[in-house]
Amino acid sequence: MKPKIDVDYVSTLAHLQLTEREKADFVPKLIKIVEWVGKLEELQSVDSGIEGFHSVPFSLPFRPDEIRGSFPAESALANAPERKKDFILVPKVIEEK
Amino acid sequence: MNLTSLSLIELREAIQKKEIKAEEALLAHLKKIEERENEISAFITVLGEQALVQARKIDRKKEKGRLAGIPIAIKDNMVTKGIRTTCASRILGNYLPPYSATVVQKLEAEDAIVIGKTNLDEFAMGSSTENSAFFLTRNPWDLRRVPGGSSGGSAAAVAAEEATAALGSDTGGSVRQPAAFCGVIGLKPTYGRVSRYGLVAFASSLDQIGPLTRTVEDCAFLTQIIAGHDLCDSTSSAQPVPDYQEEMKERLNPIKAAYLGEKILEGIGLEVKDIYYKTLQLLEESGAQLFEKEFPLWKYALPCYYIIAPSEASSNLARYDGVRYGFRDPDYSNLREMYVQTRTEGFGEEVKRRILLGTFALSSGYYDAYYLKAAKTRSLIYQEFQRTFEEVDYILTPTTPEPAFLIGEKKDDPISMYLSDIFTITANLAGLPAISLPAGLSRGGLPLGFQIIGKHFHESDLFRLAFLIENKVKFYRYKIKLPRKEE
Repeated sequence: MKPKIDVDYVSTLAHLQLTEREKADFVPKLIKIVEWVGKLEELQSVDSGIEGFHSVPFSLPFRPDEIRGSFPAESALANAPERKKDFILVPKVIEEK
Repeated sequence: MNLTSLSLIELREAIQKKEIKAEEALLAHLKKIEERENEISAFITVLGEQALVQARKIDRKKEKGRLAGIPIAIKDNMVTKGIRTTCASRILGNYLPPYSATVVQKLEAEDAIVIGKTNLDEFAMGSSTENSAFFLTRNPWDLRRVPGGSSGGSAAAVAAEEATAALGSDTGGSVRQPAAFCGVIGLKPTYGRVSRYGLVAFASSLDQIGPLTRTVEDCAFLTQIIAGHDLCDSTSSAQPVPDYQEEMKERLNPIKAAYLGEKILEGIGLEVKDIYYKTLQLLEESGAQLFEKEFPLWKYALPCYYIIAPSEASSNLARYDGVRYGFRDPDYSNLREMYVQTRTEGFGEEVKRRILLGTFALSSGYYDAYYLKAAKTRSLIYQEFQRTFEEVDYILTPTTPEPAFLIGEKKDDPISMYLSDIFTITANLAGLPAISLPAGLSRGGLPLGFQIIGKHFHESDLFRLAFLIENKVKFYRYKIKLPRKEE
């Protein structure tokens, strides 16, 4: 299977912008990688009722449902690139018409 | 007494017996850092003053912890409260974490001293530490070569005696491969053995923190301290942590191990093969029963990994959007532009490549063909290991297909870079513990690693066998000469 990558669409999904130069460099490399991972096509048996993998082959312990302390607002906000009082500042989310 | 060449166990004893002070041990290491960092560049941050204050405090303490005064380097993708944690990325360039990772808290609770934060490939994506956004790290055995990666700074710091031990993280071989390149011990514990709380996530189903040390016993000791269940990491196991240091010295059961058939070893370096077979022979002479295994699925491990890891990364790295912490590009006029500008300016080339690859593999229309297929392949690989472990207790492989490569050699060829993880990646996919230890030197004087993969939660078995090999190989007789760059 010759992979087709619509790199503009994928980079929009990933919130990344590529310059023309980057595209010229990235796209062939990406296609090469995707072709290479296409090797998995050879493994026909993977479609016959095998489940996806779960990384934890043991039962997961639950923690007691107790209220615990959390970060004070000040330390949670300390790394904010822009802030106003106890809020993080971002550009307007809802745009006016 | 040369304080920087002591093992963790030796240094610990000297400090506990008050033969030397924590302050002296720390100063000796800081001096070594001053002498060697110009050439090696293992550290992004060195903690001089702060560490000294702590060392003096430890010297005054009556009841000292089990790691009192041991200088330990931490890979800069584990958060340290109030100490800059960068992941070697511009996007976290000035990030000051409000908390410390569980492993760091555990080390500090035992009075270890965090001597600094080590360099890595940006967000742990890479096998050479050349993907750091700041600078590259050089291999102490040959400064023209890479230290491996992504925990290259941690491995180089331990090899160059700038720290007694270090922590790294291993998603596809990122502790074991640099350990092999730098001639030190590196362990990737069983998935869930060590808490990942405070390890900046790359691929959450594969990531695991592990120690890098100069002896197997140091590795066992450090693993014991960092292992265990953590309420803050729901994937950490509640299985009790054994006394690894004690169990390491117990008599070995008859050794039954599988080794790789010719097919998988095709195309790997002759010297690597040579040392691999020599080490197998050492084991045979010690009475080990060895069985050749073909592992027909092994060749699918890398492509499988390069769908799963980037997919998880593309999701994990979505959090870097310039809103709550980290870098925010000032050049935007609306929210979406802020996201895009921040991420475009903040991430390096390899990180972008993997985010794009992961986004593609997860995107509508491709999910079944790529991600789902890889997830199923992963199950098959896991099952192949399970079947093998019904017959043997260990799987033995070289750690890497070749010794440390030259700086720049693979920078422009991602697939050839990815191939350097061919032997390490399967353990991550199957969640198995695996240890790398130096098995000898190449003719060019470069360390070559030997890897032991074990059953889930059988770290003690790994330490026992590694201890046996360590005593036979006696790698410590080789010393780095630190050649100068121009030589």
